[in-house]
Amino acid sequence: MIEYNQAELSDFPDRAEFGIKVIGVGGAGANVLDRMALEGSDEAELLTLNTDVRALSTSVSSEKIQLGATLLKGMGTGGDPSLGKQAAIEAVDEIRQAVRNNKMVFVCVGLGGGTGSGAAPEVCRIAREEGVFLVVFATMPFSFEGERRMEQARRALEQIGRYANAVITFDNDRMGELIVPKDGVTQAFAAADKIISQSIRATMNVVFRPGLIRIGMDDLLTALDTDDSRCLFGYGVAKGDNRSHEALEQALKCPLLDRGKLLEEAKAILIQVAGGETMTLYEVQLVMDEISKHVGKNTQILFGTGTDKRLGNSLTVTIISSINGPAASASRTSVDESREAAPSISLGMHSDAPPSLSQSTPSHEAAFNIQDYEEEEEVQPARPPVPLSRTQAQPMRDPEPEPEFEDVSPIFEPLSDENFAESTQPLPSYSPETVPAVLRKPELRALKSPVEDDADSDLRNPIARAMDAGREPDFNRPPSLGDHEPAEVDRVEAVTESSQKITLTRMVSSGNTGRIKTRDPLSASSDGPTFPQSKPPAMPREDIAPAYASDEARQQQEMLQLEPVGGKGRFAKTDPTIVDGEDLDVPTFLRKKR
Amino acid sequence: MASSNIYVGLEIGTSKVCMVVGEVRSDGAIKILGVGQHPSAGVRKGEIVDPETVQTCLHDALMRAEERSDVEVNTVFLAVTGSHIQSLNNRGTIRVADEQMEITSEDLDEVKKIARDVPLPKENGYIHSIIQHYYVDGQDRIPNPIGMLGQKLEADYHIIHGVKTRIQNAIKCVREVPLEVEDIVFSPVAAAQVVLNREAKNEGALLIDIGGGTTDYICFVDGAVVASGCVSIGGDHITNDIALVLKIPLARAEKLKVTHGSASLKGLVDVELVVEGESGKKVSQELLNQIMNARVNELLSLVHEPLAKQGYLDRLGKGIFLTGGSSLMKGIAEVTEGIFGVPVQKSGSSSMSGPSALFENPQYATPVGLIRYAQLLEEQRPKKGRLSKLGEKIEKIFGGSR
Repeated sequence: MIEYNQAELSDFPDRAEFGIKVIGVGGAGANVLDRMALEGSDEAELLTLNTDVRALSTSVSSEKIQLGATLLKGMGTGGDPSLGKQAAIEAVDEIRQAVRNNKMVFVCVGLGGGTGSGAAPEVCRIAREEGVFLVVFATMPFSFEGERRMEQARRALEQIGRYANAVITFDNDRMGELIVPKDGVTQAFAAADKIISQSIRATMNVVFRPGLIRIGMDDLLTALDTDDSRCLFGYGVAKGDNRSHEALEQALKCPLLDRGKLLEEAKAILIQVAGGETMTLYEVQLVMDEISKHVGKNTQILFGTGTDKRLGNSLTVTIISSINGPAASASRTSVDESREAAPSISLGMHSDAPPSLSQSTPSHEAAFNIQDYEEEEEVQPARPPVPLSRTQAQPMRDPEPEPEFEDVSPIFEPLSDENFAESTQPLPSYSPETVPAVLRKPELRALKSPVEDDADSDLRNPIARAMDAGREPDFNRPPSLGDHEPAEVDRVEAVTESSQKITLTRMVSSGNTGRIKTRDPLSASSDGPTFPQSKPPAMPREDIAPAYASDEARQQQEMLQLEPVGGKGRFAKTDPTIVDGEDLDVPTFLRKKR
Repeated sequence: MASSNIYVGLEIGTSKVCMVVGEVRSDGAIKILGVGQHPSAGVRKGEIVDPETVQTCLHDALMRAEERSDVEVNTVFLAVTGSHIQSLNNRGTIRVADEQMEITSEDLDEVKKIARDVPLPKENGYIHSIIQHYYVDGQDRIPNPIGMLGQKLEADYHIIHGVKTRIQNAIKCVREVPLEVEDIVFSPVAAAQVVLNREAKNEGALLIDIGGGTTDYICFVDGAVVASGCVSIGGDHITNDIALVLKIPLARAEKLKVTHGSASLKGLVDVELVVEGESGKKVSQELLNQIMNARVNELLSLVHEPLAKQGYLDRLGKGIFLTGGSSLMKGIAEVTEGIFGVPVQKSGSSSMSGPSALFENPQYATPVGLIRYAQLLEEQRPKKGRLSKLGEKIEKIFGGSR
């Protein structure tokens, strides 16, 4: 168990222990992992846990652990979560060994079956005991799988929610809508896997991509911080003159976003705009302008941006958010009100941040963006929530110390081949130079190598994966109500016990950017008005400026101011005409003069 | 059909809505019967942004055109432009069936289909597919291969395409007036019909139509369109620049531009100009010219760049023809010549009869060109028959990306 240690914060010495692990539990989880491996994951280690040894053998993950080897003798659980749980307990030492020394663990699991519903909560518990930061991606079963499986899934979800730092749920019913009905069941599951693997990647990218305006795990938590909610996730990548617009379009087209309509309801949305070094501030601004049209007036926009050489000429937009499911909205109204009372903006940079932007390469003009958001936050009022898929980003109450994470060079994957094909191309050319220097330690590279092997082995065995895809929820197995332990989640308690979270955010930020944030989403949500200490609703430019400590950064900021915002006269409201990154609507005379 | 040779050209420009009613006589000459125009509003950069306002202007222009020409206008040819319109050249090749030998019109359709089969962005549709040349068994520059013997038929097409919905919006706007849109024509294609004569097209010419919101160009080499496009910068930008730099209202900036401004910095006499109505605010002529020069230079460079890259500029035997309202600007020919290095002439439409003095004004090149375009379509029509033509048109407007 890794004890939280204040001393560690300052020098942050032990790089050897940083790692991300993605754990797939059960058939569905394994499928997602296979998908990730297929699409080439170079940062995270993949670990498959399953009871069914046959399914396990087809998995392409680098690590595999068989659950319940003696209990089940290599067979599945038959849809019985209690068996799944027993099986996991049997392998507890192995699991503990596997998660130990990882700072961040993603668990993907298809709930409803025996292994997923039974073992996943155990895995989560072990992971939490090991003090890792835990994000769970869970798929809820199709409604045609029956009420019983749904019930099992709900129970498991509830248990998982107690251990996980964040739970993102995907509703298979909703996934089904993404696919043409006549598509084969294999494609259907493959598409769902793809979306989940995409989300995992995007989450990793968002948090770990070196940012100019960074987004940390804390921001991610804020974006997902609604109980019983559905996750909104969108991702787009584009190239060319109009890439900012196209990338955003694609992101909004992502099915979970419903063309951006659902963003109106979101209380907090996290947006990351990333591009190669050619990305201009203007493009970032375009994206944000556009986004602001979709979000409600009280929405908190968590904005981050970064450059990444690997992206080449493409520009990516990632949107992560959550909205309340119908059930939650009623019970949470009071909290909602208090939150919505104070619209706030959070950027990856805060006025109370220590001067430490020095690691970022090209630069940013935070103040510039903030002003825009102030103006544009007032968009349409939120619409009533529509139930589609659910997300839980439950606050964690575990009094355990918090993990630190490591920046890992981001992974970057297309959501669908057609739309995002471009993104695959720049990928191999990525060089680790964009990772801030601190992070380029040998240990990190060493960590990568097994994963690369893994990707290879994965290529060898695409058929096995495809076969697996169809297997995801186990239709054949009769659902049974196992002896679940009573899963009462006490959310009030969760909300008040917030010290944990503070620690978390501190660790994250100091590890990655050196900035220290005192924001505590949990206490904020219980105290009422939104995060007053670190997110003043209107952050004046002067407040931001000190954040740029290094001369370099300051210079860059000035340089970027050259891009005039106003200055367009009668063309201020038209589609901009951009050639070679210059806005031609601004008088040539003014542009050339500078 | 007596009325079928009266055509109406409509251009919804950034500065004006202009409707021209013209009659094509049996000898092929065009007579302008009447013109209705109205200052435009609700159009930016050549595209409609406020349909309701545009419709008001359109209605006004229609009334005037009908009144002057004494013709009831039902259908129009609509000029479209906008930065979304792009062009490319593509070659299609087919093998003529062995037993057939002689090339038929079906073969031409087939080769056209293949030549057009280029991957467009999925939101784009074809506006024009203009034949450049046919090649039969390697023999090039054949204007009409029908009836020739050959095995391999190739065709170079110049394809102009744009975002379907943006074009449909323009059509929808006109339909709600209500007027039927007979065909849509990319503005410079229309303007070229009257500005460039056959000789110019054959020897090579570049037409640059600098309008209010956009600058459209079309380049002819060896009698065929080799390049065309649109840069969404026009006279409005120049006015806007002046207003922003000098911090004066747009109306005064416009006046300053028209009366005193010049795109050229040569022969400059730096005098203080008094801005009307601005309580004696003075502006230096030099500054004004610099502002305009900077913009015009940039604009023309944007046109110059792709053409120079493809090497068409060396083949412009007849040089450059400037048209459009902004080509009336002083000094612009000089600047153009400086950039392109070929002779430049300002030109409006010519060879029209009727109350035509007006229409030699370069502002009217596009709408008058629409009449000529309509006439050319009519000449081709007997080959196809009206119905199939209509079908093709529908396909063209709404049509698939095929």
